[in-house]
Amino acid sequence: MAQENLNPTAPADDHDEARRTFLKQTSVLTALALTPGPVVQAAAAQWDEKVAAAFEKVPLKLDINGKKYRLQVEPRTTLLDLLREQLHLTGTKKGCDYGQCGACTVHVDGQRVNSCLTLAVMQDGRKVTTIEGLAEGDKLHPMQEAFIKHDGFQCGYCTPGQIMSAVACIREGHANSEGEIREYMSGNICRCGAYPNIVAAIQEVKNGGQKV
Amino acid sequence: MHNLDAAGHVRGESQYLDDIPVQRGTLHAAVYGSPLAHGKLLSLNLEAARRAPGVVRILTAQDIPGENQIGGIVPDEELLAGSHVHFQGMPVALVLAETEPQARAAVKLITADIEPLPIITDPREAQAKGELIVPPRTFRLGDPAAAWAECAHIIEGTAENGGQEHLYIETQGAYAYPTDGGGVRVHSSTQGPTAVQRHTARVLGTGMHKVEIDVTRLGGGFGGKEDQATTWGALAALGAFVTKKPVKLVLGRHDDLRMTGKRHPYTSDFKLGLSADLKLLAYEVTFYQNAGAAADLSPAVLERTLFHACNTYFIPNVRATAYSCRTHLPPNTAFRGFGGPQGMFVIESAIAKAADELGVLAWEIQRRNLLQDGQVFPYGQRVEDCNAELSWQAADQKFELKKWQAEVDAFNQQSPVRKRGLAVMPICFGISFTKTAMNQARALVHIYTDGSVGVSTGAVEMGQGVNTKMIQVAARTLGISPKRVRLETTNTTRVANTSPSAASATADLNGKAVEMACRELRTRLLRHAAEDLKMNYEGLEIQDEQVLAAGKPAETNWEKLVSTAYWKRVNLSENAHYATPDLWFDQTQEKGHPFAYHVYGTALVQATVDAMRGTYDVDAVRLVHDFGQSFTPGIDRGQIEGGLVQGLGWMTMEELIYNQDGRLLSNALSTYKVPDLYSVPKVLDVEFLETPGHPNAILRAKAVGEPPLMYGLGAYFAIRNAVRAFRPDVRPEFSAPFTPEKVLLNLYAARESAAAPAASQASGAEASVRN
Repeated sequence: MAQENLNPTAPADDHDEARRTFLKQTSVLTALALTPGPVVQAAAAQWDEKVAAAFEKVPLKLDINGKKYRLQVEPRTTLLDLLREQLHLTGTKKGCDYGQCGACTVHVDGQRVNSCLTLAVMQDGRKVTTIEGLAEGDKLHPMQEAFIKHDGFQCGYCTPGQIMSAVACIREGHANSEGEIREYMSGNICRCGAYPNIVAAIQEVKNGGQKV
Repeated sequence: MHNLDAAGHVRGESQYLDDIPVQRGTLHAAVYGSPLAHGKLLSLNLEAARRAPGVVRILTAQDIPGENQIGGIVPDEELLAGSHVHFQGMPVALVLAETEPQARAAVKLITADIEPLPIITDPREAQAKGELIVPPRTFRLGDPAAAWAECAHIIEGTAENGGQEHLYIETQGAYAYPTDGGGVRVHSSTQGPTAVQRHTARVLGTGMHKVEIDVTRLGGGFGGKEDQATTWGALAALGAFVTKKPVKLVLGRHDDLRMTGKRHPYTSDFKLGLSADLKLLAYEVTFYQNAGAAADLSPAVLERTLFHACNTYFIPNVRATAYSCRTHLPPNTAFRGFGGPQGMFVIESAIAKAADELGVLAWEIQRRNLLQDGQVFPYGQRVEDCNAELSWQAADQKFELKKWQAEVDAFNQQSPVRKRGLAVMPICFGISFTKTAMNQARALVHIYTDGSVGVSTGAVEMGQGVNTKMIQVAARTLGISPKRVRLETTNTTRVANTSPSAASATADLNGKAVEMACRELRTRLLRHAAEDLKMNYEGLEIQDEQVLAAGKPAETNWEKLVSTAYWKRVNLSENAHYATPDLWFDQTQEKGHPFAYHVYGTALVQATVDAMRGTYDVDAVRLVHDFGQSFTPGIDRGQIEGGLVQGLGWMTMEELIYNQDGRLLSNALSTYKVPDLYSVPKVLDVEFLETPGHPNAILRAKAVGEPPLMYGLGAYFAIRNAVRAFRPDVRPEFSAPFTPEKVLLNLYAARESAAAPAASQASGAEASVRN
């Protein structure tokens, strides 16, 4: 299961140039360099390169869906972008990128988080589960089964986030009543309005007593 | 039967536009939108952006090889601003870079020198200045001018509704590739593939045959991707065409919110005349539609407002006029209901106001005026197969309206601070594109030699379950298992000249075409069987994949039948065309038969207002809906619940705010609130009204996409009734959404004088008549 996967992330390099320039533009010495003078400018340029190099990539170890990754990521990369753009795990959706819709919900060490609001480097050494890691092979997770049974979606775009949130909701012990489900699922927006069916699916799993 | 996309959705495997694996060499695009709502574009400073890391090319209006024009109904919308900008966020330049962050960073380095011009955001101001998108239109029935003299009561007033952001969770986007022979292929998140194709071809100065549009599915559309997907599809295609590289353009949420149009805000004036026994006798209404800066679909939306101006009531004398007013907001566009809800809100407001003034319950007026067979709509179509009374009576019977009203009244008697309101919301919605020519569809069906079946249509799956319905239709018609049938992507090279997936008509139009194609294939196969097995063709059928002769199993089944037919050189593919029969409309007279049929229903809505805080709950919505003969009840029920929730949102919490500069202030989910789990009424009953359906409906299952949205209007009036239970002297203005802030302002409105509240409590008989 635990397969060592060494830096499977070529696309990460795409950001290098932008990163370098950004750091150059924002370093303290660049501000100094606004004062004219060739000597100061040259010194600033040297320092900028060093600052940029130091911050370009950060090593990161993650366990994602039971698979171990050693990665090099830019510090500003969100967990969502790491999953989608570098690891091509596109089941986790980007709805707003501001933590306001819940479509990007994943589990980190069993806790649900908005992956757009957390930087990948903050999760070093942790265990991440995405929608792709919920089923065990062909055997769907009970929550996935329940969402199918109750039509807990329409367009399906918010569904991965809803399901990840729903699983955590039960694990947290926050699915004991319809009211509690409403409260603890209110961060996941479904614009199609499949809410009644989502609640029904969660209640079924909760009442079914299966291990989630 | 469950939605056939279910397995992919719950595993996160369903592919949406942004999930398509990126091709080698792909450039990523970002759009520079106008910082001003109106002005003359003097110059663009692109130098800093050009030098930014990763930037490959920046395209402006000058780079467009064809015509810089994407207006569908009226050619008044440039793809990229040329000499003028007309709304904040109007695309001005397209940055192409190696990565998406690079493209977005470079956009921030662009500046524009724009000479400001006067900004109009108010539709009445636009109308007064003659800024109209198209000439005004008027629907007439009877003679209202003469009828006023017969009216015992005449009620006048104004009603306003806000816009509504679609907030599809998947933002707008497109991914375009150059193809052999100078063409372009575009994956587009659009409800209207042909619209994207047509305008892209126009922009590129090439034939439509060189532009291929492919749509797998949308992460929500709701009308927002009917016309407004075109901009992004055409921009990505332009980038691919010019650079000869794949170009991907996906809008970030904030860009999507500020650059795309919404549901139209309206402000309207009404005058309603009633007889002494509460019959509606005359209605005059003037609609001012805030169209935004370009026509987009506004003229068609305007038309549907006129068609639905009387909702489900018969009024013998009507004059309804509508102005499509040009302002400097993003071009407003289709949104589930397409102008219908705006029209209905005004007549319901007029009835509520009449109820206030006459001291009766609004539903006493509503129920006396429901449409009946043999009457005529203001647009000349006769009322047939009318279920207005039927659905009202069914709702009354099942949910005991009078008893419920008595309970609400009793609650209000004993509850000093929490007040309840009950409202009835009956609906009547016409099904068909009001542009008659658009009521056509095609289907291409292939039976493969192993017996599996591929179906292509012009329908776009966006959560409404149309793919599942198409598969059902094909499987039923062919007599085989749905498991054998695959619904292909919507692609303009397989099914051409499609109408958008809109107007609730997608399943009907495309389903009928699928049904026709499959019938033809079935006939062909059974003729082959008759010949091959030397049987009588009459009495042959296919059921559960078995060929039956006069009801008894014959010597062949589906797989054998298909295989032997192939070897006998029987054509196993069929392309069918369907056009809804008997539709016509004469715009010079504003009369005709524009709708294939109408959908009816009645909802009872209860709200409870906390009179200390102004907050409220929509406690219960119990409704009876005319589904006809639903063959996908799970999906159809979901459409009712989802449409209702969107309607509740529009009427209660979704408040779009633009400032005087035309800048969107409610530009995030933190400032624009959409319904969450709390917004769903605790009690939500959806009862199926048993009706024979309609022959123009697919398998007699009536269209279900848009009609339920209008049940949400009931929430507005339920809340209003609750407010009036606390303050009988207050008559809240008709201004949707009814946010808690507005509720609070009404609850604690200044008391006019000691005499005023007393007058408002006068009974119907004593009510003063205004003229």
